[in-house]
Amino acid sequence: MVTPAAVLAGIGSCLPPRAVSNDELAETLGSSDEWIRSRTGITQRYFAAPGTATSDLAVGAGEQALKSAGTAVVDTVVVATTTPDRPCPGTAPTVATRLGLTGAAAYDIGAVCTGFVYALATSAGLIATGAAERVLVIGAETFSSILNPADRATSVIFGDGAGAVVLRAGTADEPGAIGPFDLGSDGEGRDLITVRAGGSEQRLSGGEPTEDDRYFAMAGKEVFWRAVQRMAASTRSVLDRAGWTSGDVDWLVSHQANLRILNRLADDLGIPRERSITNIALVGNTAGASIPLALDQAHATGALRKGDRLLLTAFGGGLTWGSTVLTWPELDRA
Amino acid sequence: MTTMYDKLVDLMVSRFDVDRAEIKPGITFEDLEMDSLFLVELLVVIQTDLGVKISEDTASPRDTIERAAELIEEQVASAATSS
Repeated sequence: MVTPAAVLAGIGSCLPPRAVSNDELAETLGSSDEWIRSRTGITQRYFAAPGTATSDLAVGAGEQALKSAGTAVVDTVVVATTTPDRPCPGTAPTVATRLGLTGAAAYDIGAVCTGFVYALATSAGLIATGAAERVLVIGAETFSSILNPADRATSVIFGDGAGAVVLRAGTADEPGAIGPFDLGSDGEGRDLITVRAGGSEQRLSGGEPTEDDRYFAMAGKEVFWRAVQRMAASTRSVLDRAGWTSGDVDWLVSHQANLRILNRLADDLGIPRERSITNIALVGNTAGASIPLALDQAHATGALRKGDRLLLTAFGGGLTWGSTVLTWPELDRA
Repeated sequence: MTTMYDKLVDLMVSRFDVDRAEIKPGITFEDLEMDSLFLVELLVVIQTDLGVKISEDTASPRDTIERAAELIEEQVASAATSS
């Protein structure tokens, strides 16, 4: 029997309504539009309104992806998020039920900015083993909920949003088939991208967390250094496994961390910068949502054509990293 | 000046849009408004170009371009002897 492959069958995304300009943030941070743009390539991001939760954005993206796939039913829902609705339970069951999918297997993946690639990998595994036939894979974040408003290094970078794909069981040689994968981690770097408070470590420490510990923190310089090198190594490894060279890649789709990281990575791989899909200027870094959001927007503009070869790569907290490849299929827009 | 210094200057001009006329051996990265993030990016580029492992802390924004070139050369030399 041939092992089924996970094949991309639908795509969608969701942004909260309010765009926040650099000028609006710069005012309170003592920063400037020019400072933010030159360091990050970001001009605006979206912040969810009070009363919104990550599941709201996940449901919006999920609805579109199901419609695009031409199906109302999947047997599994996976949500990659750094900002779940609650520490317990997972966000995916809520999302599944709100999409009319009560009874489906549903769980979260916590791999921060690499979450979507990890979610794709585990979903492809479920399909390969026959445990699932159709999986809704969502990357969703309300990162604004954990940003430290006083920290200009992080509060200008991140934004809220969600992206989703439907994977179905198919064959490895058809357009849309996902894989192979390269995944990795390094726990030595756990302090470089972190929210220190709120977990067992702090709650059982006997002490109260500081105000800063309640928020997301990132060591920008150290992360830049590791992100470029880990993604470069991971993409080379996955290209090797796929039997592709960087010259075969039509589109590099990296986690939208920082425009300078994206450009550096493209240069390093010898892929022209214009073949790197970037939407960070208009949405910021949406962590686990960034890859499906970038894919959906590129699909909407018609940039992605059937048969295009895509290289996906991400790096994030953990530290974690991961890469995969696929050939773009014919997809409907929701 | 050394080859490494020339290489640094070339990279700063070609990759970071620094005005060549502003770069002098005794000027610091900070003077050129290149902060720690720019510097780490420069070090990533150098590491890839030279194909040797150097440390992300090799130089700081308060170092002069000349001093940074020396520090990178020291790292390259020690990488060569340890391998």
